[in-house]
Amino acid sequence: MSEQTSINNNLPQGFKGLTSDFGSDQTAFKGVNWGKAMMWIFLLSDTFIFSCFLISYMKVRASVVAEWPYPSEVFALDVGGVPVPLLLIAIMTFVLITSSGTMALAVKYGYEKNKKLCGMFLLFTALGGLTFVGMQAFEWSKLIFHEGVRPWGNPFGAAQFGSFFFMITGFHGTHVSIGVIFLFIFSRKAFRGDFDTGKKGFFTSMKSDYVAIEILGLYWHFVDLVWVFIFAFFYLW
Amino acid sequence: MSEDYYDSNTSYKAQSSETISSGSGSVSDIDYVKPKEVPDQELYHGHSFITKYIFCQDAKVIGVQYTLTAVFTGIIGLILSWMMRMQLGFPELFPVLTSETYYQFVTMHGMIMVVYLLTALFLGGFGNYLIPLMVGARDMVFPYVNMVSYWMFFVAVLVLMASFFVPGGPTGAGWTLYPPQTLLEGTPGSGIGIMLMLISLALFVIGFTMGGLNYVITILQARTRGMTLMRMPLTVWGIFTATILALLAFPALFVGAIMMSLDKLLGTSFFMPTIIQAGEMLEYGGGSPILFQHLFWFFGHPEVYIVALPAFGIVSDLISVHARKNIFGYRMMVWAIVAIGAISFFVWAHHMYVSGMSPWFGFFFATTTLIIAIPTAMKVYNWVLTLWKGNIRMNVVMLFCLGFLITFVNGGITGLFLGNVAVDVPLSDTYFVIAHFHMVMGIAPVLVILGAIYHWFPLVTGRFLDEKLGKWHFWITFLGSYSIYFPMHYLGFIGVPRRYFEMYDSPYMTSAVGMNQFISLAAFIVGAAQFIFLFNIIKSLKIGKLADKNPWKANSLEWYTPNVPPVHGNWGDKLPVVHRWPYDYNVPGAKEDFIPQTTPPSEVKDTGVEKT
Amino acid sequence: MVMAETKKEQQTTTHKIGIYLWIWGLLFVLSFFSYMVDWFQFQGLLRWTLIVTFMLLKAGLIMAIFMHLFWERYALVNALLWPMTAIACFICLMVAEGKYTVFTRLFYFVVGG
Repeated sequence: MSEQTSINNNLPQGFKGLTSDFGSDQTAFKGVNWGKAMMWIFLLSDTFIFSCFLISYMKVRASVVAEWPYPSEVFALDVGGVPVPLLLIAIMTFVLITSSGTMALAVKYGYEKNKKLCGMFLLFTALGGLTFVGMQAFEWSKLIFHEGVRPWGNPFGAAQFGSFFFMITGFHGTHVSIGVIFLFIFSRKAFRGDFDTGKKGFFTSMKSDYVAIEILGLYWHFVDLVWVFIFAFFYLW
Repeated sequence: MSEDYYDSNTSYKAQSSETISSGSGSVSDIDYVKPKEVPDQELYHGHSFITKYIFCQDAKVIGVQYTLTAVFTGIIGLILSWMMRMQLGFPELFPVLTSETYYQFVTMHGMIMVVYLLTALFLGGFGNYLIPLMVGARDMVFPYVNMVSYWMFFVAVLVLMASFFVPGGPTGAGWTLYPPQTLLEGTPGSGIGIMLMLISLALFVIGFTMGGLNYVITILQARTRGMTLMRMPLTVWGIFTATILALLAFPALFVGAIMMSLDKLLGTSFFMPTIIQAGEMLEYGGGSPILFQHLFWFFGHPEVYIVALPAFGIVSDLISVHARKNIFGYRMMVWAIVAIGAISFFVWAHHMYVSGMSPWFGFFFATTTLIIAIPTAMKVYNWVLTLWKGNIRMNVVMLFCLGFLITFVNGGITGLFLGNVAVDVPLSDTYFVIAHFHMVMGIAPVLVILGAIYHWFPLVTGRFLDEKLGKWHFWITFLGSYSIYFPMHYLGFIGVPRRYFEMYDSPYMTSAVGMNQFISLAAFIVGAAQFIFLFNIIKSLKIGKLADKNPWKANSLEWYTPNVPPVHGNWGDKLPVVHRWPYDYNVPGAKEDFIPQTTPPSEVKDTGVEKT
Repeated sequence: MVMAETKKEQQTTTHKIGIYLWIWGLLFVLSFFSYMVDWFQFQGLLRWTLIVTFMLLKAGLIMAIFMHLFWERYALVNALLWPMTAIACFICLMVAEGKYTVFTRLFYFVVGG
């Protein structure tokens, strides 16, 4: 359905385009593939999930009477005996943004139907995601085994600190892990040339297309986007 | 099939002549419809019984599956309400019913009726069946995901039903599941019961999201040629807006369910404050119970409109068809649906006036609540004006529509009482509230569902439902439910509290014992009348009167498939081309009193048809 | 304005690699800045302003460039961004609610029920 994009050049732009698109027949999002539109709406719904998590966190943190632990110290990492605040988190952020960049390149090469480079960047992205999940596992185990942070309590202060930390990063980590699985699958598909031959999907029996890379890319960038908010609200706040 | 698809470079002339070839033959530019933007959909055709009827990817079969499952759970909800009324009206008669079972039945009745019956039936049932047919698509855009959606719903229902059979029984916390009492030992089902409820809700949300994405994208991206958003039947508008509400509101419930199950399983204190249970200090501390109420109602209020908006849409179509008149103020109706949907995200805390939230919120939420009454009232005026001087056919469908109108106005007006803080405070937690929400989101949508089943049964099965039985069904249901809920307003005014297992000899009750018993009797009769309906369906499936292709002489696309009942793929070789809205009834100068959506303008040149 | 828009419309799907690398670099820089906010221990209003600014900038860049929202038509952009008003309303009200809850907790702790 990539031919659709050529239609767009003749359409009005900006807010005039908005009214003409919604006033037209057949499609409201001109030139947007079904799967891509679905992913966007899904991400909108998912945004509401993460927003509800973060809003709950904000509400509870604002109303606990106990002292809220100081994240800068809790998440510090010892380097040669000197605690460096948020070092691990900084590296995790670095890794996730890197993987987001490689994903953007994978999408670009997908559109250029360059299956080698596309598959390779997908693989890089998957490895980046895997590293991120690994570091998160390290962070969790450090907090649980060394610092004594539990979902139901911690030695630093308000019990909800651990509850929200494990729940929100866990939910985000689940998203990352699902993304990693799909990245590996799609990277294999790209190398095998499924997107060029239009091989039918195993479950859905729908034809493969390079637009799938862009859809997966949207998901991956969204995971990165959520991390931006978690980083700001949970670690820096 | 794919020859319908043109590249945008194809010249205008070629397109227009091709477009008309399906029309009457007089080629003219007024019949021009833009060429197809999206290539035709590939479908997976099932071959075996399993792929055709069980794990089926046809939206119509999925719709019927949703409907049957939802009706099955609804019958269980109905039986539960019988038990409750038995206990309330005649407390000594039925000693098996303890206070625990009573609260469990209240909870399950509420949750089943709101989520597993009404939401699933309107969106999953009617949505799946009607959306692709009404917008002229071959199927939902992702048939496989759609199938998984139904089976997630099915598993959610199974998990919910399983909670009847676990130790401790289902949760008895009330359908709002407010913590902390939901998780405390004194509440029935605070062990496995509540966990199964939360798991079932989470499964429902996941399953619904899969279906909901399908409905939204099918409506936005897979309409047929000529089908603009402003030519869609209001049914589709209602379901569309409700689905968007659901996609954005269910996340709050999902998050609430996750957090509560963590409170239960891991002993976190998201919602649990420092609390003493039976003289013993619990481990919890510092959580915020009111946060759950906010999350719940951030979902819960849009949920009311998730149920109401499809009913609004469907009833508009039914009234228009059976009064043979175009819907009054179509665009106003559409914008009212959209406005109600948008505002419904800003009114949630009017359910929480007495909860101990910040007292300043009352101003905000009372104002937004009264604002949302404006588009709702506009819709009611427009329904009445559609009936005005219409050629009204007093069949069963129309009876149900009229029943809806009256009931909805009733329930809506009591809503205005409850939306005002000062009036709500004395009335909250009384039977007035019960009467209000049963009228507005219980009886009113159910009347629409029943009317819609009488209307679309010939499309699904090719046979009519029995009119005579239908009239009995309507009058008993309608008058009976008024006998149930009208007196409840009065009970509320004299202060009878809701969610009390037995009234004993309380002073407000002694004056109303007879009325209370009368309500129970009416409830038994109304419930029994629904079995007339089920009998009618089974009977009509076998020996019902055969229906013609378009028995109600309706305009919308679902009646214009080559095969009736429609088969997989809906449209045969060629997709329909739409030239008008679906409400051209009784157009001056037209040969017949209806002009189908597919009729090109050149065929009705000399009539007073409006440009749509 | 019109010219710029037609120009960007022509390159909906493929873009020069440069823009991705630029944004990539910018994201690193912004992340570094927000890390520095913590490093230098800025406190109070300055801290919140900086954190939120960097956060929104990063989110905006990811959405606009990496997720191609900048090149999408307004119909999609508006459909995605308007629902956020509901979230904004929820956030504002929960800020007020959080403050009120802590007020009641301290008030009744000190004054007594």
